[in-house]
Amino acid sequence: MALAWALVVVPSLWAQGSKPTDYDVKAAYLYNFGGFVEWPAKARADNGDSFTICVLGQDPFGSALDAALAGETIAGKNVAVKRIPRPRDAVNCRILFISSSEDSQLKQVLAALDDTSVLTVSDLPQFSRRGGMVQFVLDGNRVRFEVNLTPADHAGLTLSSELLKLAVQVRRSP
Amino acid sequence: MLRVRDYSISRKLTWMNLLASGVALLLACAAFVAYDLITFRESMIRSLSIQAQIVGSNSVSALLFNDPQSAEKTLSALHNSPNIISAGIYTPDGRPFAAYWRHRGSGALQLPPILTARTQLRLRDGQMVVLRSIVFQGKPAGTVYIQSDLQESIDRLKQYVIIVVAVLLTSLVVALLTSSIIRRAIADPIVQLAETARIVSRDKVYSVRAPTTGNRDELAILIGTFNEMLAQIEERDTALRETRDNLEQRVQERTAQLNAVNLELEAFSYSVSHDLRAPLRHIGGFARLLEEEYGTTLDAAAQGHLRRILSGVENMGMLVDDLLKLGKVGRQELVWQQTDLNSLLQSALQDIQPELEGRQIEWRIGELPVIDCDPGLMKQVFANLLSNAVKYTRRREFTVIQVGHVATDGAPVIFIRDNGAGFNQQYASKLFGAFQRLHRTEDFEGTGIGLATVQRIIRKHGGRIWADGEVEKGATFSFSLAASSQGFAATKASAAVG
Repeated sequence: MALAWALVVVPSLWAQGSKPTDYDVKAAYLYNFGGFVEWPAKARADNGDSFTICVLGQDPFGSALDAALAGETIAGKNVAVKRIPRPRDAVNCRILFISSSEDSQLKQVLAALDDTSVLTVSDLPQFSRRGGMVQFVLDGNRVRFEVNLTPADHAGLTLSSELLKLAVQVRRSP
Repeated sequence: MLRVRDYSISRKLTWMNLLASGVALLLACAAFVAYDLITFRESMIRSLSIQAQIVGSNSVSALLFNDPQSAEKTLSALHNSPNIISAGIYTPDGRPFAAYWRHRGSGALQLPPILTARTQLRLRDGQMVVLRSIVFQGKPAGTVYIQSDLQESIDRLKQYVIIVVAVLLTSLVVALLTSSIIRRAIADPIVQLAETARIVSRDKVYSVRAPTTGNRDELAILIGTFNEMLAQIEERDTALRETRDNLEQRVQERTAQLNAVNLELEAFSYSVSHDLRAPLRHIGGFARLLEEEYGTTLDAAAQGHLRRILSGVENMGMLVDDLLKLGKVGRQELVWQQTDLNSLLQSALQDIQPELEGRQIEWRIGELPVIDCDPGLMKQVFANLLSNAVKYTRRREFTVIQVGHVATDGAPVIFIRDNGAGFNQQYASKLFGAFQRLHRTEDFEGTGIGLATVQRIIRKHGGRIWADGEVEKGATFSFSLAASSQGFAATKASAAVG
């Protein structure tokens, strides 16, 4: 039986194309987070018909994010990408990627988002310790993430246990 | 080897019981086992499918965030299902993502590649394979693959076989026990009844009785009726025996009486005949003397009377002689000899020569056989019958007397035929009675004792005589002696009684 199955060789996309970059993976993860986070009802109503993923600051994804999210839906809503220059533009965002260009003013950015229900994601070092919710980390050459539940709770977001079990670290710190 | 239908009833009942309960149980067990195996198989499929689903939904995040360790951790929970040989998770493009093997040491950890990600189920080579696609946000996120063996099902089947065998054995034992009860209630009484019937039939003993059961079923009725029948037969037997004994006694008594009377009668008739002779001789002698000495002095009328007296005396003398002869035949012992009837016939013809004087007779005498008989008495038979034939043809101008025999299966039939006066066949039986005559003495003289004597002689020989005739057309007297040995024995027996 195994032999019969072995004959059916399925071509692997990963083997065919070039190896994905970290930002290809991160773009996919940004989208995937949408399926494992529960937003409060108010946020869902404010966001209207689309599920908006925003990038604050200098966009490190290039075309990767648009490519990854083109035509996708989350919970029946079309996924839209928005690049915003200021934190207060993030009111209608569900997920906000904070570019490393915002490193210096991170505290202000997070403070500006204090009364919103936005899932903050970044690959800034110490992001989860500094009040961010999800921080990308590199485990060898694999992209993984850390989670800080305190700001997520504060924002009224519920992170699925499925998500948490994959986190390198889950912390609670203000 | 005894055939089943020749088995005894009790054995048949036992077998019937065993067979019926065995077959019923076997069928019931088979049905239950089949049903249970089918439902078990279904529940196993369902359970595998559910497990695949759980594994799938618990592996979605691992797939999405490319975390095979987490997926393997999820898969390792399958360790609690001992039937699952291997399991795996594939990425949507069919690449193995995470794998689980029950026995880690066994072979390569490589999972088989899969063709499609549709949910499906395969049952092959004693293994069950479930494929279930993982869908997240309406899109395929991967596929769960679970391979399970059917060991549990086989174990279950083994257990069932053991249970079925145990149940069957137990029920067979119970069936044997119940059949012994049935045997006691049905077979044993029948066997005893059959045994009783056999004894009755074999030994003709009607005093035995089949043992009763004390029940009130048809069997008890049968046994009761059978016993009643035996009682009736016994009763009838007794009555029959009594009647037979009575009858024998009565026959013996009657025979003795008859013999006594017969002897008395013969002695009486002999003595009467004998004693009649002396006075007859006196009458005759004196009448003749009277005729010789005073004949001339008597007138014509007196002479006529005298002649009538003499004629009467002569007749009476003949009568007495015949009676004595008849009596003598009755007492005489037969002297059996091989006798040539031809010469006997000639001798008899010599004896009746005087009667043939002045007669024109055409004799047609055929060849006669040689038989066993008393020649002296047989000669009397011939003389008597020939004499009769000659006498009753007296008025014929042309007399034909025929003597011959007809060979039959038994003794030959000898006949003497004439064309004389004959007789009415209606009275044929009276011919042979003593003093019985069909013709008037005026027409044909005679005592009426001759044919009685002839019949007595023939009967003494164990034979029979009969006559056929028609008035004025002639008569045929036929007789046959019984087959020599038979006739001999019969005659000896009757002689001994006489």
